[in-house]
Amino acid sequence: MRKILYILFFLVSTAYSQTDWQKWEAKQVSYEFPTKSAAQTQNESASLTGTLLNSLKSVYSFLISDYDGDNCPFSPSCANFFVEAVEETNLISGTLMFADRFTRDMNVFKGVNHYSLHKNGKYFDPAINYTLNLQKIKFEMVNN
Amino acid sequence: MLILISSAKLFAQSGAQEDLFSPNNRLKFANHLYSEKDYLRAIGEYKDFLKSTDNDTARFRFANSFLRIGRYDEAAQNFKILFIGSKLEEEAKLFYYQSLFFSKDFNAFQSNYDSRLNFPQKYSLTLDRLNSATYFLSKTNLPSEAVLIKPFEDSLQTKLIYFYQMMKNPPKKNPVTAALLSAAIPGAGKVYTGELTDGLIAFGATLLSGFLAVNNFQHDHNFRGWLFTGLTAFFYGGSIYGSAASAQIYNARLRFNLDSEIKIFFEERNYFLPKIDL
Amino acid sequence: MFRIRKYFVLFGIFCLQTIYSQNSVETQLAWADKLFASNQYFDAITEYKRVLFFDNRNELKAKIYFKIAKCYKAGAHLDEAINFFASVGKNATNDSTIFSAKLEIIRCNILRKTTERALQLCNELEKDGRFASNKNEINYWRGWTYMFADDWESASKIFGESPADKELKLLCNQVIDAKVSVTFATVISYILPGSGQIYSGKILSGLMSLAWNLAAGYFTVNAFIANRAFDGIVIGELVWLRFYRGNIENAKNFAVEKNFEVSNKALKFLQNEYRGLKP
Repeated sequence: MRKILYILFFLVSTAYSQTDWQKWEAKQVSYEFPTKSAAQTQNESASLTGTLLNSLKSVYSFLISDYDGDNCPFSPSCANFFVEAVEETNLISGTLMFADRFTRDMNVFKGVNHYSLHKNGKYFDPAINYTLNLQKIKFEMVNN
Repeated sequence: MLILISSAKLFAQSGAQEDLFSPNNRLKFANHLYSEKDYLRAIGEYKDFLKSTDNDTARFRFANSFLRIGRYDEAAQNFKILFIGSKLEEEAKLFYYQSLFFSKDFNAFQSNYDSRLNFPQKYSLTLDRLNSATYFLSKTNLPSEAVLIKPFEDSLQTKLIYFYQMMKNPPKKNPVTAALLSAAIPGAGKVYTGELTDGLIAFGATLLSGFLAVNNFQHDHNFRGWLFTGLTAFFYGGSIYGSAASAQIYNARLRFNLDSEIKIFFEERNYFLPKIDL
Repeated sequence: MFRIRKYFVLFGIFCLQTIYSQNSVETQLAWADKLFASNQYFDAITEYKRVLFFDNRNELKAKIYFKIAKCYKAGAHLDEAINFFASVGKNATNDSTIFSAKLEIIRCNILRKTTERALQLCNELEKDGRFASNKNEINYWRGWTYMFADDWESASKIFGESPADKELKLLCNQVIDAKVSVTFATVISYILPGSGQIYSGKILSGLMSLAWNLAAGYFTVNAFIANRAFDGIVIGELVWLRFYRGNIENAKNFAVEKNFEVSNKALKFLQNEYRGLKP
């Protein structure tokens, strides 16, 4: 908490007059309300498995997941996690990663674990964090 | 057209009675902007002023404006001009290092530091601290602990030794150990990496599906038996892989937390920089 | 293109020089105004600040702060713009300048969507005895504030008070008519799954939802009838309830989304096509 306060303090103390520290141009303020939910980025993949998987996922979302409500407490959701996992690695590792995610999803005490919270209030848990590559692991927020 | 423009400009600068663009007035206005922290505009004015007149304070403020708005390369270049024969030589040298430091080019800082000549005594302690900070922040090519913590006061030594030890020997979890543990007892690797509930669930899920597989085979439900065997393999494999991944995540978090702790430690103390207003 | 315009400005200055060469401050001000007129707001601010630095008369201060604030506003730096408009109020000598500065602050608040603050300022301005004759103008911006606060009923009411604002009142009424009721959408999908979605215009999604609920309901009821209570509970809890809850969630979300689109369409119209005075 102290860290956050501290960072806020820094922002406030330096925000003043910073506008002009970079040359700016004329710009219109948009009247529209900003979109609440950022558009889901569609995974684009050139590989055959990726394309197959993505179409499978589209069918899944058209037939089922669009209608059964927002059940997954993770971001990305389990289906997206699986697609990401396979795209990052291969079908076998991807399946193992999905098995692990599935197990963790069954855990009703997720709150005591160390997930950081995503902006949308879900547990931030991208597939890339499970590729065993230390350099690629990312956290959105400091987790105390 | 160009001639016309230049003559217009000339005219604009000299035609009026009280010339707002005379070097003297430019300097005055530049100083005013500088004091208002309007650094980018101040840079424009100082630049024009320095074309016609050489002035150490103006040059220093010109360079410092670049430093303040984060244009570190230009700041370093201009501080360098003040290194020889200027009355602000000492400050310019310190600020030159500050520019390198804030540009986050820690390698450049360190090699400059190692080959420094005639650095003013007055600021040498500050420079030593900045140099130590570059190692704490970059975590590469660490010199000995004693060298790094020497420039800091006694009350901070414990904390810095802790940082140093955490950098040198972080209490990491081994992914292979985690995987092997889970291979022996499903979920044990997760417990090892601190995810107790995940471990228990993985254990329970594998055990339950395994039990159902055996049970179904015993009752000659072969299809269901194989189904649950597959599910058992799914959970078992997932727990082994997941434990290794969990160990890596543990290690990444360890490093991430240490990084932010070190960063905040130095930021909170403004990198031990003295307050110099020029 | 930009360069040519710049030369043109410089050429303009050259011409101006011959007229104003007696007074450097006036010249400087004209230069700044030229920059302002050619949309070079950042540079214009520099030159306005220069004038101010060398000539600190109060009446000039108010005038120049106003210009600087306008520059910031044109660059979408609304916080700075508000600060400078506030400084105008502190330095101005006549009421009409103070009034326009205050209106500008309200307009900036509308633009940055701090509409509560804008309303508060409207009320303060209305109570101020000096500006009693400007009620219409204050109301006009109050109406805009309501539109930006997504409160089209209040906006319509306000615009209705003045015949000159008939076009805006019509727009507000259109928005009100086009909007759907979130509560109604939610309630009807409690009763008939999928109906809320259809009401908000998502027919296919509504039908799919209805189909899932019918199917899951059928299997659940069937299981209970066949005395397979355990299966019934499992299907009911894991499948039916899930789709039933999803249906209500969707009905609500689609209605909210639809209203959001309606509002944004109107705001887009105001920004791009409306010809009257805008914030």
